[in-house]
Amino acid sequence: MPESTTKTASATRELTFAQAVNEALAEEMRRDKRVCILGEDVAEAGTPFKVLSGLVQEFGVERVIDTPISEAGFTGVGVGAAMTGMRPVVDIMFGDFLTLTMDQMVNQAAKVHYMSGGKWKVPMVLRTTLGASRRSAAQHSQSLHAWFSHVPGLKVVMPSTPWDAKGLLKSAIRDENPVVFFEDKMMYKLKGPVPAEEYTIPFGVADVKREGEDITLVATSSMVQVALEAAELLEAVGISAEVIDPRTMWPLDEKALIESAKKTSRVMVIDEGYERYGVTAEIASVIAEGAFFDLEAPVKRLGAMHVPIPFSPPLEDVTVPTGPGVFAAAKKLCGKS
Amino acid sequence: MAISVVMPALEMAQETGKLLAWRKKEGQATVKGEPLLEIETDKAVVEVEAAADGILAGVKSREGDVVAVGAVIAWILQPGEGLPAEALAAAVAAPSARASSAAVSAAAVSAEPTKVSGGGGDAGPKISPKARRLAKEHGVDISLLRATGPDGNISTEDVQAYIAGGGAAAGTQTGIAPEGGANALKASGETLSAIARIMAERTTQSWRSVPHFFVTREIDASGLLELRKSGGAGQASINDVLVGLVARALQKHPRLNASWTGDGIRENAEVNISVAMAVDDGVVAAVIRNANKLPLAEIAVERRELTERARAGKLRLADISGGTFTVSNLGMFEVDAFTAIITPPQAAILAVGKIVERVVVSEGQMAIRPMITVTLSSDHRVVDGARAAQFLNTLATAMVKPASWIL
Repeated sequence: MPESTTKTASATRELTFAQAVNEALAEEMRRDKRVCILGEDVAEAGTPFKVLSGLVQEFGVERVIDTPISEAGFTGVGVGAAMTGMRPVVDIMFGDFLTLTMDQMVNQAAKVHYMSGGKWKVPMVLRTTLGASRRSAAQHSQSLHAWFSHVPGLKVVMPSTPWDAKGLLKSAIRDENPVVFFEDKMMYKLKGPVPAEEYTIPFGVADVKREGEDITLVATSSMVQVALEAAELLEAVGISAEVIDPRTMWPLDEKALIESAKKTSRVMVIDEGYERYGVTAEIASVIAEGAFFDLEAPVKRLGAMHVPIPFSPPLEDVTVPTGPGVFAAAKKLCGKS
Repeated sequence: MAISVVMPALEMAQETGKLLAWRKKEGQATVKGEPLLEIETDKAVVEVEAAADGILAGVKSREGDVVAVGAVIAWILQPGEGLPAEALAAAVAAPSARASSAAVSAAAVSAEPTKVSGGGGDAGPKISPKARRLAKEHGVDISLLRATGPDGNISTEDVQAYIAGGGAAAGTQTGIAPEGGANALKASGETLSAIARIMAERTTQSWRSVPHFFVTREIDASGLLELRKSGGAGQASINDVLVGLVARALQKHPRLNASWTGDGIRENAEVNISVAMAVDDGVVAAVIRNANKLPLAEIAVERRELTERARAGKLRLADISGGTFTVSNLGMFEVDAFTAIITPPQAAILAVGKIVERVVVSEGQMAIRPMITVTLSSDHRVVDGARAAQFLNTLATAMVKPASWIL
């Protein structure tokens, strides 16, 4: 099975992020009959974001299963199905609804392999969304991936491009352990190169999305796009920014992050989750410990403000990191205010 | 009880010291007060005496090693005693922050009256971890760096600029070359001796950070010459007389015998006169302690001994530490007058020219008099113009009639 960890291979076609996710699911469902999909509006509707369009037509309602509005219930069904031999992909429409799945994920899925002395395993994927700025208000805009990253026994994946989304989702489905897969709902229409040939991307391998010398921008999910925008702005003022995407919160490619920090001496960590007690704190800490004597400045974090995401568009736009915001903070960190 | 031998420090900014030689070998007996090792400090090559009778053990640093100030480099044990458990941990815990080095050195070097407090804390620019590491690797004294980073802090670029400017070129050399032997020249070109490098660093630091001002006065030296001519000075030189007079004048002007502490002024309890001495590679300042109380003859003896040790490169730690005021005399080099750079934490230095006959007008009459020009450099944070003038006035009075002051 060829593995593509970077986008060095030539891809002649472009897909949207949604098409890449769809293609990964379709390929894995063709490859392995145990793979099935459970969730709200996943079949005929193809989800509100149209990510799953066409799957029920190819694989039928027995493998693409519409559930009642009952996240705790059907997540539990997914855990049980995985324990008994299936490879379910559970769809939680909005990441905000993950609150309802917490017992199934944290106390059951994450612990079963350990508690059974390795006799049981839970090879399931929980796909869900994150991300603000869709004007969906406080209960449909959160990015709660830090919660799952905190729990031993769960793997947490956060792709930032169509290429990574497809390769990482295929790895998630083939993984023998529960994987929580976060897609930014604002990126579904993002287009990018995706190889036509078969590939997967291993977990725990960060990807440098842009090379630079003066500052490292560690970014996750759609914040990678924000960081790339900031890097363009920084280049115009003579600051060379490196953008590195850990791609998986756990396992975390600590080595790559530390190496990049050592190279540039200045680091900002950008993530759309709440900044307080968020993944930015963990990543900043890993870098501070690993690269302390190579740092020129404290590691700077940028995440969502410590407020409910507002419905008001002007207010919502200031609560989460933006390209110009990252640009300004990075410039200051480099001593060029 | 096991007693640790630590790398001592004389200066706030000193972060490392170089171990030049052990005078005792591991397992040999040490005698309290006898030379134990020789180190190159911020100021010179000095001998460090054993702090106790015992047996030298647990020697960690070899000759040539550059060691963090405060780091334990060996132990003095009592017969039958083993190395203490913390022997390893102590070395690891060698302080690198300036404030803690100062504290350690205060403990390691007894009677250090001019130690400036408050070297760490929030005073002065901060330095990034990377810049600090780079400075350490290149032997750069961070107190000499220009801070141009964000928020006025010292960045790696500042260290690199300093190194590129040649500042650290000498600091990175491994061999000091007092004898001009194989170590005298490095492949990269010219090298500096330890003393020359230290002189460059100290004067740069002082000139940048201390607000100097200068007050000059011409003084009739007839009294000084008469004192020598009459034999009243014994073996003492004019310079010895001057040291004695300056010390006694300082007693009446404690502000000239003071230090800037970073947030205030501290008047020093003792009057210890540093006497600048030219040696092959530069200048060292040896200290005559309590010179205000010493009879002239003792000043002369001590100054002569110090001069000999300085020329032989055998100055001990105690010989160069604790000065509170410096006298620098270039009269023997035919200099009429000059201005000198203060040695922090001292607040002033007196620059003395040669005695030369001049036509002076006194009470409406021209006369030919032996005159001497002295120039006082003062730290304006501690001393103002009027105080400097008043001190010079007292000194002039004393120089005109030295016998009544010093005999």
